[in-house]
Amino acid sequence: MTIRANVLECRDLKKSFGDNEAVKGVGFRIAEGETYGLLGPNGAGKTTTISMVTGLLERDDGEVTVDGQPLTTASVDAKRAIGLVPQDLAIYPDLTAKENLTFFGRLYDMPSGDLKARVAEVLEIIGLTDRADDRTEEFSGGMKRRLNIGLGLLHKPRLLLLDEPTVGVDPQSRNAILESVELLSGEGMAVLYTTHYMEEAERLCDRVGIIDLGEIKAEGTRRELVQMVGQHDRIRLQATGPCEAGVEALAALAVVKEAGVRDGGIEMLVDDADQSLAQILGKVSGAGVTVTSVDVDEPNLESVFLHLTGRALRD
Amino acid sequence: MKAFTIAGTNLRRWLRDRSNVFWAFIFPILLILVLGSAFGGSSDPRLGIHNEGDGPLAADLVVLLEEQPGMQVIQFESREDLVATVERGELEAGLLIPVDYDATLRQGAMTSVELVARSAEEAQAISSNVQSALTQQSVVLRAAFFVESEEVGSFAEGLETAETASMNVADVTVVVSSAGEPVGFFQLGRFDASAQQQMLLFVFLTSLTASAALIQTRRLGVARRMMSTPTPVRTILVGEGMGRFAVALLQGLFIMVGTLVFFNVNWGDPVGAAAILIVFSLVGSGAAMLMGSLFENDQQAAGLGVLLGMGLAALGGCMVPLIIFEFFAPTLFQVAHITPHAWGLEAFDVLVIENGTLVDTLPFLAILLGFAGVFYLLAIWRLRRVLTR
Amino acid sequence: MRQAWTIAAKDLRLRLRDRSALIVGIIAPLGLAAIFSSIFNPIEDFDFSATYAVLDEDGGPVAAQFSAVLDQFGTGTGSDIRTVETRQEAADLVDVEPFSDEEGADAAFVIPAGFSNAALSADPAEMEVITGQGGVGAGVAVSFAEQFAGELTYARIAVSSFEALGGAEDRLAAGQRALAIPAPVSLEEIEAANKQLSNKTFYAAGLAIFFLFFTVQIGVNSLLEERHAGTLSRLMAAPMRRYSIIAGKGIMAFVLGFVSMVVLIIATTLLFGAEWGDPLGVLLLVVAAIISALGIMALVAGFAKTPEQAGNYSSMVAVVLGFLGGTFFPVGQAGGLLSDLRFITPHAWFMQGLGDLAGGNVPDVLPAVGALLLFGLVTGALALGVLRKGLQP
Repeated sequence: MTIRANVLECRDLKKSFGDNEAVKGVGFRIAEGETYGLLGPNGAGKTTTISMVTGLLERDDGEVTVDGQPLTTASVDAKRAIGLVPQDLAIYPDLTAKENLTFFGRLYDMPSGDLKARVAEVLEIIGLTDRADDRTEEFSGGMKRRLNIGLGLLHKPRLLLLDEPTVGVDPQSRNAILESVELLSGEGMAVLYTTHYMEEAERLCDRVGIIDLGEIKAEGTRRELVQMVGQHDRIRLQATGPCEAGVEALAALAVVKEAGVRDGGIEMLVDDADQSLAQILGKVSGAGVTVTSVDVDEPNLESVFLHLTGRALRD
Repeated sequence: MKAFTIAGTNLRRWLRDRSNVFWAFIFPILLILVLGSAFGGSSDPRLGIHNEGDGPLAADLVVLLEEQPGMQVIQFESREDLVATVERGELEAGLLIPVDYDATLRQGAMTSVELVARSAEEAQAISSNVQSALTQQSVVLRAAFFVESEEVGSFAEGLETAETASMNVADVTVVVSSAGEPVGFFQLGRFDASAQQQMLLFVFLTSLTASAALIQTRRLGVARRMMSTPTPVRTILVGEGMGRFAVALLQGLFIMVGTLVFFNVNWGDPVGAAAILIVFSLVGSGAAMLMGSLFENDQQAAGLGVLLGMGLAALGGCMVPLIIFEFFAPTLFQVAHITPHAWGLEAFDVLVIENGTLVDTLPFLAILLGFAGVFYLLAIWRLRRVLTR
Repeated sequence: MRQAWTIAAKDLRLRLRDRSALIVGIIAPLGLAAIFSSIFNPIEDFDFSATYAVLDEDGGPVAAQFSAVLDQFGTGTGSDIRTVETRQEAADLVDVEPFSDEEGADAAFVIPAGFSNAALSADPAEMEVITGQGGVGAGVAVSFAEQFAGELTYARIAVSSFEALGGAEDRLAAGQRALAIPAPVSLEEIEAANKQLSNKTFYAAGLAIFFLFFTVQIGVNSLLEERHAGTLSRLMAAPMRRYSIIAGKGIMAFVLGFVSMVVLIIATTLLFGAEWGDPLGVLLLVVAAIISALGIMALVAGFAKTPEQAGNYSSMVAVVLGFLGGTFFPVGQAGGLLSDLRFITPHAWFMQGLGDLAGGNVPDVLPAVGALLLFGLVTGALALGVLRKGLQP
């Protein structure tokens, strides 16, 4: 594994609104080509964090560096490296898709020639080439969302920040959005992705920070998180034959944490079901047990969140 | 450069809404036309006449009245109409000529005409005019009465002799001359004063509507998105302001050229007038940016925009000439100068009345630039706060 | 109907929460009324009087007669008459800037040397008026002089006729007797009722009716806002008639308009001394005016697709009608086409109704009330047709 440069580093971000401490010391890093997810329920402080990271919100404390440059609300040049996709649509309804893109492109000082080509390219990426010259007020919700994203990646930012980009989007558009994020990160863009959809975080993010009540409770790859909270994959085997003997045989395997006979089958907790399943099936059949079906239950981020906060993600 | 991009987009969006074109260009010129033709210059009292008589003497009287200087004559078809119009204050007085006017006079009897007015004071200005028309008409008749009363001849003989005498005897005449050059606003053409007042009123009012655009930009989230690009707040604000500054400038220019061509309004030295317009448009757009950064709701801003646009204009001498404040209410004259309008109007006075040039208006332009600067600085400070807190 | 009230109550609560109705309905008109009354009142309270100079270079009996008549005129009108000795003095007095604090005169009368002799003959005779920089005072002076000259002309003709028919006497004495003959046509001055609103009342009423249309529009526009927000479909899915929705919006707009008018009437009366007139007459006019505003604003809104568009169209209509209807400037005084044209606006009828009330009794407002109601009913009926079609989610 090559060591990749950090595109975003932020430390100890704090922000209060009156008595309400919205963010209480958040910090993380994102390397190039990495997708980092901030997963947390509504009101956890995701948008406040992203606003501080983009220099839109005056922070009470903490530091942000983007591509090695410190970034504050007064920064101008450092902002060239970021592309923001705000949670609420931020497009002119009375301008066309192309006009919206061109306008914001100019604000990034893109030369006209490049801008024209890039606008066409982005329209292609977000699938709005056909509707380029229509006013956006006539667009469907999903199309507006896609344009909202297109505006953020127009100038090929080093860091793309997407704040809940799929809220209220139809499944088809949602899939298109997720695919384009995957594509971008494949091209080396660093992505900060906030969501309260566990599935999106699992699918897109290389690393996930779990945020609740303004604090990052835990951070790591999905597997790291799962293990950190002591969660294991659960394997259920429907089986006939000497199940007791099978359980005894499994005790020899280090990956198997617990095993027992349940409801005419064997149930066990293991570290990594994907890697150990073949081994386990070998041991069990070696003990004379006939397996009729296998059921693997991997713990997800939802259960990690539940474990960490005692609350469900979608309260 | 980015400010121009923002200004351009702002303008483009402004033009997309066709009602804006109406407000900025069609409405002001209509209003100047209407107000100018209705009230501009002419403050002569109005006399309504209802002539029931059908003889030549009655008709002559109407002609004599129409020839009276310093009075407008409007004919009415019915007595009720005339009286009602006087009662509503739309005429200073009304004159009723009776049906038997000719017949009575020709018989050598006295008659009377009725002058209807709401008060003796209001009738005053007109009654001397009416009186002199009556005097003119009744010269021959009255001489005949005199002949009869002196018992040197009959009424009929008197009429005949007086008729002849009136041909031979020269009139005693009045020669009117004026001392010095007429100056001040009495010299201004029918549309002049109102065109300058309206121009400043509209340029400011139209600029203030830009505040709604800024509020919209904020509410759409676009302002925040712009903030996330490498664009400083002042550029955003100057850009948004510049879009409307261009509109105000175009509108002012349109009013100036339009009134110059169609009503021959005197705007004074063109360079000076252009400079006033440019600086005043800056003030207007600055005020709009300040309002746009202070308010959250564009409907509220629109209501307050009308209040401020009309109110400041009224206070600043766009409805009642400043010279009248100066004379009738000195305190008000001082208060007027908290508005940019008063300074703009004074600058125009320098050009139009005193035949000054750009150089003479510089002190006023400097004050107006001060207004613009303060507005923009406050707006930038405030917008930074609302966008990043 | 119960649902209509529920909708109206909900919308009223919303409008009160959002301060735009307060700003448009009360703060803006009241603020402007305060400014207008401070600007226009000092001018209304001002009484006109003039100063005239008179220079007698003649010294004859006719000149003395003129001075006597002028003094009388001065006393009658409260004008100052000053005697001067030289033409230069007269010219200097007249040549001052208008409204300056400098001592000056509006006009100077000059009776040139030899005027009396000329006047007593049949030869041409001239008197002079020197005016300054214009104004009403100068105009009055010219007409005064012309009136005097006319009398002299008459006296000359009368005396000539007298002599032609064999009369023989001193021309001055005969002339004075001739002037004593009353004019055959006398001027009878009749005082008319005053139905013109005072400045204070005019601006209070004008602003109130001008902004009433905007206030009512805020109410009417909420229908389009519901459609825009999608809540209209929800309302229409509820078990009630479509008219209940329209009625609810209508009630709310009416209440908004009514409350703002009542507040404005009370506030302008207490603060600026506006005299609205008999409360019953005012009530009738206000109710009729709100109904006309409702009809017109609803019709305009019916042609709009979005709330923004409705706002634009309505402001255009409200401003044009307001200006044409003479809410800012007394258009009726302009005469001609403009003063007739104003009666296509409800504003003009409202203002006229108030004027008629000021100079008359409650029944005098009925024509205006009728006209306003007609506006409201015709446009309202048209609006119902348009809105019913448009009442689709």
